[in-house]
Amino acid sequence: MTTTDHDLPAQSSAATTSSATGTRATRIIGIAAIVALGWLVAFGLGFSPADRDQEEAVRILYVHVPTIWLAYLAFVVTAVASAMYLFTSKKSLGWDRMAGASAEIGVVFVAVTLAVGAMWGRLTWGVFWQWDARLTTTALLFVTYVGYLAVRRLGGSHHQRARRSSVLGLIAVIEIPLVHWSVRLWRSLHQEATVLDTDGDIDMDGLMLFSLFVGVVAFTLLYVWLMLHRTRTMAMEDIVEDRGLDAALAARRAEGEL
Amino acid sequence: MVGSDPTRGADDVDLTPRTNVDGTAAAGPRPRQWLPIIVLALVFVAGGVIVTQFLRSAVDYYCNVDEVGVRDGCDADRRIRLQGTVDEGSIVQDRGVTSFSISFNGSSMPVVYDGEPGGIFKECIPVVVHGVIEQGALQGDRVEVKHSDEYVAVNDERVADATDLGCNPPGSDA
Amino acid sequence: MEDAGFILGSYLLTFAAVAAFSWRTLRAGRKLADQVPADDRYWR
Repeated sequence: MTTTDHDLPAQSSAATTSSATGTRATRIIGIAAIVALGWLVAFGLGFSPADRDQEEAVRILYVHVPTIWLAYLAFVVTAVASAMYLFTSKKSLGWDRMAGASAEIGVVFVAVTLAVGAMWGRLTWGVFWQWDARLTTTALLFVTYVGYLAVRRLGGSHHQRARRSSVLGLIAVIEIPLVHWSVRLWRSLHQEATVLDTDGDIDMDGLMLFSLFVGVVAFTLLYVWLMLHRTRTMAMEDIVEDRGLDAALAARRAEGEL
Repeated sequence: MVGSDPTRGADDVDLTPRTNVDGTAAAGPRPRQWLPIIVLALVFVAGGVIVTQFLRSAVDYYCNVDEVGVRDGCDADRRIRLQGTVDEGSIVQDRGVTSFSISFNGSSMPVVYDGEPGGIFKECIPVVVHGVIEQGALQGDRVEVKHSDEYVAVNDERVADATDLGCNPPGSDA
Repeated sequence: MEDAGFILGSYLLTFAAVAAFSWRTLRAGRKLADQVPADDRYWR
């Protein structure tokens, strides 16, 4: 918005509020995400009809399904970025940070899916949790990526971190098809896929489907917005860490010279 | 060692090489590395628990009503999970005990459940009952409603969907 | 009504989780921006 704050060093906290990791693009995407989330509330809780069997409980679908889809997407992005780091000659840390940021957002979304799913399960199945194929594989997916995030923080140089985590990022993504087709592979309490299935027809009421679509758009915008901010924050974390290391080395050298 | 003051320790510089000029502890990354290791250990434990719980619950065979006595493992006198659709008009509740029958593919099985099933339990809906078949009836101790992957608005009169469940059109309960 | 509690709760929980993560990210960015010269911030 302001053209002058470009020249100022980031000092006043009021100016840095928007200019730390924000840009024009993030502001536009952020506003769009907020508007879409408002629509999601309006359609999910208001305009969409109750289900014949599930009644009002069906409204949970509009957050439960988009969050897990975006989590899948996030982990696929992690895998792709990991591959880009590993298999390109430049070995750009930008890919590594993209992988890490995407995995973090994915973990948040899977956590939300599990918690919201438990509430939905309580209302429709009568139980919060069941050691069922879909639920179990999703829990395993969550735990795996928490492990991935822990591995990223084990220390070492940035490139050591990147190598380690990109191998893991490529292995962990195999779980996604397992989660998605678990309801087919094992007999399951969880219903099969309604929209992302292979028979091509969608057994869903029109307004319900539209509400789900609004949810997907809202969470996609949110994902992009979070990705932009998180990768930028991670870039600064790396810079600060490098500078801290440089300063420590300089201090040691100075000590030696004394 | 931890709380050394740089202003007072300025005379014995050689003994405090791990303190920054500004007084902050230089050993910053060290405590930070423990947390990921603890998290990783927890991750392995949690992963193990999840897999064993899944395998343990898979010990109860998941059978459809028409597989009782036919498919391996779907026998009387052992714990199973039985899937079927609640027969129309079969639900009887008497002094805290719910009796009903479930059908799948033409076969039917009476169920006795000590309690009131939760969720969206009602007739014409697919359920999974955990229990043992004794004297021709499933003595259930857990009833879960397995809702379908079809989503239909309450006021939608799509009769075709209801016939899939083997029940009459649900216009009566709308 | 029990259902309404869970339904509204699921939306609230979702938004709370997303808001918390967003706030944490933005706050970290703001803190770090004071330590990183503008030239090193490639998005500027």
